Amino acid sequence: MLRYQEDNELHLDFHGTTNTTLNYIAENYGVEALKEILRKTGRDVYKSIHEKLVKGDASELLEHLNWFYFREKGKYQLTVEENRIVLEVFECPAIRHLRKLGLEPSPHVCLQTSEVNAGMCENSPWRSEVQVLGEGHCIQTFTKDAGK
Amino acid sequence: MIPSDHFVRFYNEVFKFLDERDGLRPYYDQISRHQELHCLEWFRRDGLKGMYDYWEHIRIEENCEMEQKLLPDRLYFRMSRCPSLSKVLDCDAEPCAKYCDHCAGWVLPLLTKCGYYYVENIIGRKTPECVSVITPSKEVAEEVQKEYLSSAVEENTVFSNLDNWEEVERNKRS
Repeated sequence: MLRYQEDNELHLDFHGTTNTTLNYIAENYGVEALKEILRKTGRDVYKSIHEKLVKGDASELLEHLNWFYFREKGKYQLTVEENRIVLEVFECPAIRHLRKLGLEPSPHVCLQTSEVNAGMCENSPWRSEVQVLGEGHCIQTFTKDAGK
Repeated sequence: MIPSDHFVRFYNEVFKFLDERDGLRPYYDQISRHQELHCLEWFRRDGLKGMYDYWEHIRIEENCEMEQKLLPDRLYFRMSRCPSLSKVLDCDAEPCAKYCDHCAGWVLPLLTKCGYYYVENIIGRKTPECVSVITPSKEVAEEVQKEYLSSAVEENTVFSNLDNWEEVERNKRS
């Protein structure tokens, strides 16, 4: 069950404000500070997902990924195995909307994925990895350490 | 991707980080410049009606419980359930004590540039309600500010750009 499951109107322009914020923090406080804010978002905002992952349970993470990429009309494929979750995003809804607004995606735009995922997995048997294959195209992999 | 639904919860983390470093004001200015992309020409061209239309679009997309009244000399808002603060209060991370300040933080510089006065009463920092007025009239803004200050329960809950009235008047003419 998801801790947050919005199902009403979407305000996609928030992707523009996120983009501006990523640039602002990186330019004024450094990329490491930006990563820390994003990891903290993963740990604290998504506390419920994080706590389940610490116990080895990826059920809420799966629901979260599926619900929000579906809700924002992303093109994606989610593959689930016992100790491995692979989300291939073929067209990122955030980047698609930035282009629609005429905004250049931040050079740090994919950190919102890699660092929030890392924060959710922190101190858990799960680890995350993001491979960026092109603009709006990535593979997010969550792997559970064997024996944990 | 941080879902657009969860942006305000991320925003809250950013505010806490910046507040610890006394860095909120320059960030609000940056967000205000970003918002110019959506609003500046629209507001300058269409005035209060343009602002009404913009916030009507926001009311729908952001799921606000909000009433707007467009009068000849002012645009009046009453937010009875702010979706932004509501989400931050419904979050496993701690709310930033200054969360509500961001609204006036980006709106005030934008409306100053457009030559309008803005007066807002956030009522309470843990109450997802607020009232505000946008007006081209300094006299109306002063009257509204007086009314909000007289009814304020908490400190520092009333915001306005009346201190920058000369800039507002100059921008009104340009």
